[in-house]
Amino acid sequence: MVVTKPLSTKLPTPLVRRMFQHGDVPFKIIIVLATLFTLALVVGVGVMLWLFTSVTRMDLGFSFVTSKTWNPTGSQFGALPFVVGTLITSILALIISVPLGVGIAIFLAELCPARLRAPLGVMVELLAAVPSVVFGLWGIFVFVPTVVKPLGNFLKNAFGTSGDVIDLPLFHGPFYGFSYLAAGAILAVMVLPTIAAISRDVLLAVPGSQREGAFGIGCTRWEAIWQVVLPYGLSGILGAVILGLGRALGETMAVTMVIGNVAQLSGSLLSPGYTMASVIANEWGESSTPAYASALLEIGLLLFIMSVLLNLLARLLVWSVQRRNPQQHA
Amino acid sequence: MKANRVTVYISVMLATGLTLAACGGGNPVSLASSGNTTNPNQDSGSSAVQLNASGSTFIQPALEDWAYTYSQAHPSVTINYSGVGSGQGIKDIEAGNVDFAGSDALLQPSDYQAHPDLQMLPMLAGAVVLAYNVKGVNTPITLNANVVAGIYMGKITNWNDPAIAALNPGIKFPDTPINVVHRSDGSGTTNIFTLYLSAVSSEWKNGPGAGMTVQWPADKLGRGQGGKGNPGVSAAIQNTNGAIGYVELAYAMENKILFANMINAAGKTVSATIPSTVSAIGSAQLSDRLTATFVNASDPAAWPIAGFTYLIVNKSYTNCAKADALASFVNWDLTNSEAITHANTLFYATLPDAARSKVLDAVKAITCNGKPVTINP
Repeated sequence: MVVTKPLSTKLPTPLVRRMFQHGDVPFKIIIVLATLFTLALVVGVGVMLWLFTSVTRMDLGFSFVTSKTWNPTGSQFGALPFVVGTLITSILALIISVPLGVGIAIFLAELCPARLRAPLGVMVELLAAVPSVVFGLWGIFVFVPTVVKPLGNFLKNAFGTSGDVIDLPLFHGPFYGFSYLAAGAILAVMVLPTIAAISRDVLLAVPGSQREGAFGIGCTRWEAIWQVVLPYGLSGILGAVILGLGRALGETMAVTMVIGNVAQLSGSLLSPGYTMASVIANEWGESSTPAYASALLEIGLLLFIMSVLLNLLARLLVWSVQRRNPQQHA
Repeated sequence: MKANRVTVYISVMLATGLTLAACGGGNPVSLASSGNTTNPNQDSGSSAVQLNASGSTFIQPALEDWAYTYSQAHPSVTINYSGVGSGQGIKDIEAGNVDFAGSDALLQPSDYQAHPDLQMLPMLAGAVVLAYNVKGVNTPITLNANVVAGIYMGKITNWNDPAIAALNPGIKFPDTPINVVHRSDGSGTTNIFTLYLSAVSSEWKNGPGAGMTVQWPADKLGRGQGGKGNPGVSAAIQNTNGAIGYVELAYAMENKILFANMINAAGKTVSATIPSTVSAIGSAQLSDRLTATFVNASDPAAWPIAGFTYLIVNKSYTNCAKADALASFVNWDLTNSEAITHANTLFYATLPDAARSKVLDAVKAITCNGKPVTINP
């Protein structure tokens, strides 16, 4: 027999106390504030860059982006060589690292013996922990002389001399080692762990039933991976590539150390170049005039806008992939 | 108990909210703890003095050595110097963020107009040398103004050029294209080197000109590359057969890098050393602002590519403890025998007597609230 307590004669708990008693409301407030904080940071950086670049924005307008002359001593500021350099090196990095990274991910998730999976996975992730300046030093002393130089010379001899069967202007001109090619290759090594590790996690998250189904209808392993597992994880893999691209766009130190730092436009991957992040890091310390400082900040603004646009584009891409494959919610 | 929890929640929320407010707005919002913000002109009220400075990386090794040695003898004074570049150093002292700054760049008339209180003090001179990497050439080569300008203008493009051979009888130069290496970061070293090129070549003066960062003609011709800092330039030279580039004398000496002798304005072949740099300063005339350039100096013993590195101070301070400490420190840097020896060990040339006494006069003229500073030995 349950003994019913007499009804409480106390007044109802005050509203404020009820709100805070169980933690739900304060928790919600705190996490909303944390989210707003992130938003405020992004908007704050954008607004700061906009305000501090008024000098060059007023004086040069859009010609800042389209002019290819960068001559701080003569107060001529054109950002085109840096924009192009950033795009070339980042795209080159993705061209090299996406097939490699996805290949590593497929091996680790699908083909690797179970007892090797963890140690190999840790090795891939460790690569991401190497500081970029160390990659830069390694690039100067090992990677560029022993890998990039022979590769560049081979490309130049095979495709870069007029009279070859295939003559590509991409590989023309003198080649000294430090170049777009060197920067793109270093960046590829640097974004590789990001792409490989995230893609592996994505593939591991593909339900086993998908593979079983594929094998059940007689697919070979190759067909199961290529036609079932990879399409299922495609949007996640795209996400990994975008994170990699983000790192490549903003990478400063390692690129500065191997790109040759020449603010000229060139159609050849073998010629030295410059990127947006590198020129800011290189020249900010000695930018003594307001116009010069403003020009460097405006390059920062362009980089910021470029990153935001690329992220939006990537969102659209992921979204369209998801719409085509409605069965997944990766 | 419950009341306690409510207080905790509210204070957490308040703190988060305030942080947001402080970060979101354009202006920094001072919280209740504004007493902690560092204001260099505020009297700390204790006997310990901390001087904050920022700027040139060219003077940084000497300044750090001086700061350490000085505070061994004067434990109440600590000096923090951050090597953020001359441009940033100038911005910092103009904004009042630091007590003094280091700079290889000269203040512009507009700087003096906005901040008439600033004073430049030449402290040391550094030499710049040309390092090279030509397979088969292992002895020091000799260059002159025309050849260096020709190489950097992109006119002389191969090591077997007759102009180079004429200066170096006895050395066989291979048929190797010249690659021109320069600093990629804005740098006082670049400033000294381009001042030299402007002094010896009107074509250079009217073209790229002199500055911390210039537009290199060789880059446009596809025969140039930039390296970050002295180590970056040196690595690019080592990696490239046929490369030539300029680095600080100190860096070349410490790393045993082969560098070229120069024929100076008097027509004599000289090697870069501290004595030959001091000879170059000897012919320099300090301006009213205490600045001077002495590239391509006329003295027969002078190394032609050299320049001053400066400290920038205010002529008047409001914190007397700091003003006294600063004036005493600068005075010590210029007169103490240990300070001078240390600077020479780091391959800087120190000032000859005539220039030094002018700088010391300017240090003595610093005031604090209208009164002259007290200089302790």
